[in-house]
Amino acid sequence: MKVVVIGGGWAGCAAALEAKKCGADVLLIERTDMLLGLGNVGGIMRNNGRYTAAQEMIELGGGDLFELADKCARHKNVEFPGHKHATLYDVIKMEPTVRRYLLEKNINIMFEARVVDVELDKNSIKGIYLYDGTFIEGDVFVETTGSTGPMGNCLRYGKGCSMCILRCPSYGPRISISKRAGVEDILGMRGDDSYGAMSGSCKLNKESLSDEIREKLERDGVYIVEVPKEDVNLEKLNMKVCQQYALKEFAENIVLLDTGHAKLMTSYYPLEKLRKIKGFENVRFEDPYSGGKANSIRYLSMAPRDNSMKVTGVDNLFVGGEKSGLFVGHTEAIVTGTLAGYNAVRWGLGLKTTTLPASLSVGDIISFENSMKENIEGLKKRYTFAGASYFERMKELNLYTTDDNIIEKRVKNLFIDGIFKERLL
Amino acid sequence: MFKYIDCIDAGSPYCPCELALKGECIICSQLHGKEFCDCLNWKGTCIYQEFIWNGYKSKKIREFKKFKIVKREYLREDILKLDIKVNKELSRDLNDIGAFVFLKNEKDAEAFSTPISILSSDIETDIITVVIKREGIKSKAIFECQDEILVKGPYFNGIQGQKYLKELKNNSCLILSRGVASAPTVLAAKKLKINKNEVYVLLDRGRSRENFSKPYFLSLGCIVEDVSFLNIDGEIKYEYKKEIEQLIKKWNFKTVLSAGSDDFHEKVINFIYKIDKYINFATVNNSTMCCGEGICGSCIIKGSNNEKIRSCKQQYNPKEVFLRGIN
Ligand SMILES: Cc1cc2nc3c(=O)[nH]c(=O)nc-3n(C[C@H](O)[C@H](O)[C@H](O)COP(=O)(O)OP(=O)(O)OC[C@H]3O[C@@H](n4cnc5c(N)ncnc54)[C@H](O)[C@@H]3O)c2cc1C
Ligand code: SF4
Ligand code: FES
Repeated sequence: MKVVVIGGGWAGCAAALEAKKCGADVLLIERTDMLLGLGNVGGIMRNNGRYTAAQEMIELGGGDLFELADKCARHKNVEFPGHKHATLYDVIKMEPTVRRYLLEKNINIMFEARVVDVELDKNSIKGIYLYDGTFIEGDVFVETTGSTGPMGNCLRYGKGCSMCILRCPSYGPRISISKRAGVEDILGMRGDDSYGAMSGSCKLNKESLSDEIREKLERDGVYIVEVPKEDVNLEKLNMKVCQQYALKEFAENIVLLDTGHAKLMTSYYPLEKLRKIKGFENVRFEDPYSGGKANSIRYLSMAPRDNSMKVTGVDNLFVGGEKSGLFVGHTEAIVTGTLAGYNAVRWGLGLKTTTLPASLSVGDIISFENSMKENIEGLKKRYTFAGASYFERMKELNLYTTDDNIIEKRVKNLFIDGIFKERLL
Repeated sequence: MFKYIDCIDAGSPYCPCELALKGECIICSQLHGKEFCDCLNWKGTCIYQEFIWNGYKSKKIREFKKFKIVKREYLREDILKLDIKVNKELSRDLNDIGAFVFLKNEKDAEAFSTPISILSSDIETDIITVVIKREGIKSKAIFECQDEILVKGPYFNGIQGQKYLKELKNNSCLILSRGVASAPTVLAAKKLKINKNEVYVLLDRGRSRENFSKPYFLSLGCIVEDVSFLNIDGEIKYEYKKEIEQLIKKWNFKTVLSAGSDDFHEKVINFIYKIDKYINFATVNNSTMCCGEGICGSCIIKGSNNEKIRSCKQQYNPKEVFLRGIN
């Protein structure tokens, strides 16, 4: 049985890995020359409720990628405003590490291969077409193309292409595969009723910071300095994707995290203003290249799905990551991607697809996000274990814990420990 | 089937055009009444971005310019060859697969402007060569031009399925050519040879002793065979069907370029498809054109799903248009 995964971000890597672990033949197709997508410019794991989610996944047998991220960590147990016990992985080591891991598992990967269309047979996808007309057949498909860009969206809903890691001008635009299969996209909204949201952090070149800042950053993992009063811009917070970082502290302070580059926790920051700050006199952006002006636009392309991650309206298409909902984060992408890969194989074998129990945070977020998307207010929110309303919910429902033993027991009591490790064929 | 849609002008200095301004862009969903990206073909530039940065305006439309005719030669009483001295920019642009211009006598009204394919464009002397057959009122008017002529260009959609010609490298291509339609195939053959392809031409001489393009093909190093394709009923003769089949077996052509009427394209494509359905086709564009800018609508043809194709600008897969009964 052949599973074709479209889009090699965290969600796609997780889906491909899980489908392979289940025993399927797997092809992962990525339009750029790198895996991980936005994961190449992220790095924060295990902060707040993400810790619980990562441990749950490990107990479920789907922890490979979390363990790789732990191995690539530059810092563990980092605290910054509103966030506790974060792990910061090194974005420079992460991609090659995951790439090697997937290749060792005999997952076929195609790079610089943009998918542009599907061939349908009634309600099911027979195959997909690459940009050059190459036809690729499969039994089940997983779409993990994310929700970012392309240029027209970054222009209409943002401030133009800021040249982020997705490099649309070089590799061509993301397209919505589910839409090509005849299913309308769901769109995320902002507070002001317009669509999409702007990515909430950017990266500075660490070498361009003063020695003092760099040393402190490399020692502690975090560096915080006040924004000059006249430059505080609270409005930018409303545009932001990452509601878990849309706190006043992030507007009034510059928060840097050491993820290999210096991660700056704000969407964009005019270079001229940034250079006024002590130690930032020579600073330059690493991602997006035009981070002085803008950032990428996200959440304009979600497919309607059920809680097993199957797209409503197409028989053999599953989704994960940002494509599957208003999820923010690597952890969230890995969780949803893994379930999508798992159920893709089950579906391909004619087995009933499964959902994750709501008594685990990884199951609850999937069903909660789905129910919230039904109204406009819900479409204005983002869902992440790391903060904002969903982390509140985790605490209320007593799902949040950093006690590994409790998490182990919870999963064992449900008799689903190790399910993501089992071969299905 | 792979939906092959392209706008020949996309990403060029003539893009975004009037279609974009009016919300009818062939490629960009944002410039086609939609609010989100869903572009049909990516050629390395974002048309929407070009439009916004151009101040929400289209780029300037191509205009007629006056040039000197340096040579007039009758190849037959109804076939005229013109050498026209143009400028550097135009000669450079026109040295490309599918290139054509609109020609017009200065004294005639705009409606007389006639699309004419480029047979060759010399980028050293800036002389373009075109061949015109006297057919109707527009071509008759061109025959009256003596020393000067108005030229509007460059246009590029003179051949459909260009993708299948441009992607050929170290390969082989079969050209089936009749009458004046062979003019644009000479330029195509030149580009195919540059990419180290073998080019085999079956050249119909029509009513003449020899097709005017034969010496051009020979000088490019193509293999040329004189034929007379059609029998009295207008069908491809049995002997040539046999020959085409043998040639395909021997040469393994990846692409066949058909140069004749639409009726001829249809016969060629349906016949060859039955021999090998993986062969790609390119066809000479025979649509009636008036403006060349996608505006007037005179070039519109219907695709396989009955969709409108503005064939002066839009590239299509000839199989989608000419194959019958298969989808
Ligand atoms: C600057 C920035 C910093 C971030 N920092 C963090 C952080 O520290 N911690 C955290 O948890 N989250 C962070 N996030 C959020 C997180 O990165 C994303 O939510 C998550 O990685 C999304 O994963 P995904 O797989 O769904 O999508 P993506 O990462 O967008 O992956 C989609 C992939 O699909 C490919 N693709 C798209 N279309 C096609 C096609 N047609 N054919 C083939 N391939 C295609 C793309 O090239 C891409 O590789 C950050 C986001 C940004 C923008
Ligand atoms: S900012 Fe990134 S996502 Fe947006 S158009 Fe540019 S490269 Fe693409
Ligand atoms: S010739 Fe006028 S629209 Fe094509």
